[in-house]
Amino acid sequence: MIRITQQRAKCIGCNACVEADAFRWRISRRDGKCTLVHGVEKKNFYSVLVGDDEYESNVRAAANCPVNIIKVEKIRA
Amino acid sequence: MTQNKIELMAPVGSFESLHAAIQAGANSVYFGIEQLNMRARSIANFTTDDLAEITAICRQHEVKSYLTLNTILYDHDINLMKSIVDTAKENKVDAIIASDYAVLNYAKQQGVEIHISTQANVSNIDTVEFFAAYADVVVLARELSLMQVAAITRDIKRRNITGPSGHLVQVEMFAHGALCMAVSGKCYLSLHSDFASANRGACIQNCRRSYIVKDKENDVEFEVDNEYIMSAKDLCTIDFLDEMLKAGVSVLKIEGRGRSADYVFTTISCYREAIDAYQDGSYTKEKAVAWKERLATVFNRGFWDGYYLGRKMGEWSDVYGSKATKRKMYIGKGVKYFDKAGAAEFKMEAQTLEPGNEILITGPTTGVVQATVTEIRVNNLSTAIAVKGDTISIALDHKIRASDKLYKIVDA
Repeated sequence: MIRITQQRAKCIGCNACVEADAFRWRISRRDGKCTLVHGVEKKNFYSVLVGDDEYESNVRAAANCPVNIIKVEKIRA
Repeated sequence: MTQNKIELMAPVGSFESLHAAIQAGANSVYFGIEQLNMRARSIANFTTDDLAEITAICRQHEVKSYLTLNTILYDHDINLMKSIVDTAKENKVDAIIASDYAVLNYAKQQGVEIHISTQANVSNIDTVEFFAAYADVVVLARELSLMQVAAITRDIKRRNITGPSGHLVQVEMFAHGALCMAVSGKCYLSLHSDFASANRGACIQNCRRSYIVKDKENDVEFEVDNEYIMSAKDLCTIDFLDEMLKAGVSVLKIEGRGRSADYVFTTISCYREAIDAYQDGSYTKEKAVAWKERLATVFNRGFWDGYYLGRKMGEWSDVYGSKATKRKMYIGKGVKYFDKAGAAEFKMEAQTLEPGNEILITGPTTGVVQATVTEIRVNNLSTAIAVKGDTISIALDHKIRASDKLYKIVDA
C-alpha cells in the first residue's frame, strides 16, 4: 500500500500532477486547485491509501509539483 | 514641464506592508489573492476573505487598491478568475492588473477597470493603442529605454489614445526593485529545472544562484568569478527620477510583494520624498544620494539603472541574497501601550537592547514604526541594558499592540 498526501491549500493549480497521473489527480473547476481523488481531509491535509501500482506515477506527480505539497510513502498493509 | 499628479504604487503582501505603504505615503497599492498572481508561491498571499478588509483600509486612507490577476490562465482557472473579478467588483477594488486576454475580456464585461500588467511586455505605441480598448493604465516593459518611453507617451497625446474612461492612457513604469534576467516573466529556467512556472507565479529564481561552466571534453570546470552571471542587480531610479517623470511617466510602481513591511516603508518613503521634491522643484542630485543610501539599508542586490538609460547588457549582482547595509534582529514582542504616558511595553525574547539602539516595530495593524531608544525601564527602573526575559517599557509616540514584533536594527 502507499499513502498519498496533499496540502491542498497551497496548490497553485499548475496541472503538473494531473500530467503524471490523471486517474488520481483532478483539477477542480470551482477553485482551480487540484483535488486528490478520494482523498480524506484532516487539518488541511488530504490523504488516500492506494495500491502499489500507483506508486511510480505519483512519485512523479510529487516530483513534478512546483510547490512540493505532495508526499508519497510506502506503508505496510 | 507637466505638473500632473504622479501616482506612487506600493507592493503589498501582508497587512503589515499595507499599513507601511499607507504610512509612507503611497497613492495606491497592489496585491494578489489566491493563486492566480505572480507571487503564487509567496506564503504571505492574501485570500478572498481578506479583500473586504484591504479595500476598506484603502478607502479609509484614500489609497487606491489594485488586484493582480496576471498569470497565464488555463481552462480550469477560468471559474476562479471570474469569481476573483466578481469579488473584486463587489469590494470596489479600483482596478485589476491583468495580462491574459480572458481576464481583459471578462473584467471589461463586468465594468471593472483594468491596468495592463508587465507580463504583457508592452513595448510599442500600437500595442498601447490595442490595450487602450480595455485599460486606462498600461505599464511599459522594463527593458525599454527612457527615450523609447518618451516617444510612446508623446504619441499617446499626439494620436489621442484614450482608455475606456475617455481619458488619455496613463503610462506606468517600474521605478524600483528586482529585475528579471529575461524580458519580464518570459523565462523558463524555473520550469525546466523544477516544473515551477515563472508564468504561474511559482519562479524558484534559478537566476539568483552562482554557476560553474564545465568543459565536457576534458572535464575542466570554470567558475565565473565574483558574479552571479544571471542575477540582475536591482533597479533603482531615484537618482534619475526627474528624467523618468520628464519622459511622461505618471505612475511609478515599486516591485516587491514578497518583501517585508520595513522594505515597503523605506522604499515608499524615499520615492514619496523624491516625487514631492520633483514637483515642488527642490529635487537635487545631492538629495538623491541620500535617498539611495537609505534605500540601500533594506533588501537589495546592489543597484543599477536598469535598461532605462539605454544599456543593452545587464549588470549582475555579486552576492547571493541581499546587500542591505542594515539588518534587523528579532528581539521581542509587543505587550501593550500606555496612551497617557506615551510608553510602549515589550517582552524581550532574544538579544539585548540598550539606549541609543535603533528599533523597528512591525505588526498587522501597526504597520511599521522606526525609532531610537532613549531610555529603557525595567520594573519602572531605568536600565543600561535589557536582556532576554525582561519586560521593558520605552517612550514611544506611536501606539503598539500585542500582535507587534520588535526588532533591533544593526549594521549588516
